[in-house]
Amino acid sequence: MNDMNDMENESISKALEEALKSFEAKTKQVPVGYFDQFEMEVMQKIKAEGQTPQKARIVNLFLNQRKYLVAASLLFAIATGYLFFTKAGNTTTQIAKVEMIEIETLPDELIEDFVNNNEYVAEVEWNSAIETAGTNFISTNHYKD
Amino acid sequence: MTDQALIIQFQNGEAKEAAFTQLLKRHRETVFFQIKKTVLDHADADDIAQAVWIKVWNKLDGFKQESTFSTWLFRVAYNETLNFIAQKKRLKTHTTQNELDHSLEHPSSQNALKETTIQIKLERAIAELPEKQRFVFMLRYYEAFDYEKIASITGTTVGGAKANYHQAVKKMTLILEQA
Repeated sequence: MNDMNDMENESISKALEEALKSFEAKTKQVPVGYFDQFEMEVMQKIKAEGQTPQKARIVNLFLNQRKYLVAASLLFAIATGYLFFTKAGNTTTQIAKVEMIEIETLPDELIEDFVNNNEYVAEVEWNSAIETAGTNFISTNHYKD
Repeated sequence: MTDQALIIQFQNGEAKEAAFTQLLKRHRETVFFQIKKTVLDHADADDIAQAVWIKVWNKLDGFKQESTFSTWLFRVAYNETLNFIAQKKRLKTHTTQNELDHSLEHPSSQNALKETTIQIKLERAIAELPEKQRFVFMLRYYEAFDYEKIASITGTTVGGAKANYHQAVKKMTLILEQA
């Protein structure tokens, strides 16, 4: 409360008052013709500024949102990749399913005929695989000797 | 013509320079002396005052006259003064002491006033005040601005402006009373 009263009371001491009067008088001392000169200098500077082409301010678009744009781009890439590969897998699975279903619908006689007709081919391929494995076995053991 | 009329003339683009120089002639001394009492150095005050008026020229088109021109002008002066002082401090010059010594050694009039001890003490006391307090004190004591206007100029509250003034008076009185 005292502080508030003090703040409302603006009386100052005589000594301070006298000193402030002298201070003002000293501050107001300026060279003769100062303010006319001041006006001219200000107008000259304003005109000079007006003739100087202002540099265009470079504004960085979306500066604050850049990190969000990067994150969004990554998410988009991941989502696209996921969808792409998922769709491709589905197609293969679907084709396989179709093929299985088709085989199941075939009559047994037809399947037997296919196996019998291709038995020789299967046997040749099987023998060839055995020979290859055997050659490899011998070669390996040769080094061991 | 009133300040408002001159501003409208300026903003309409009619005789812009004439309107501006009228405003400048009307307010240049009060603004300059307010600045000089704050920074204490004539050359510094000159630089700041020129910067103030150049800013006024550049910004006057956008002045909406929500406050008086005088309030707005002193707000510009306040900001430029504080910016100038802060910049000088950043350059690490002992500005306060240098400008005080300079002002004491180089009175700018042929009829130099006799420097009494109390006057020297007062100037040192003023130099020791924080810049914001100094500016507020000068506005209140010498320009007799009301606290609402001072608060608007300095961006503080009325209570804050009163406190600044009161503190400034207290400090100066204390220093003057010292031996």
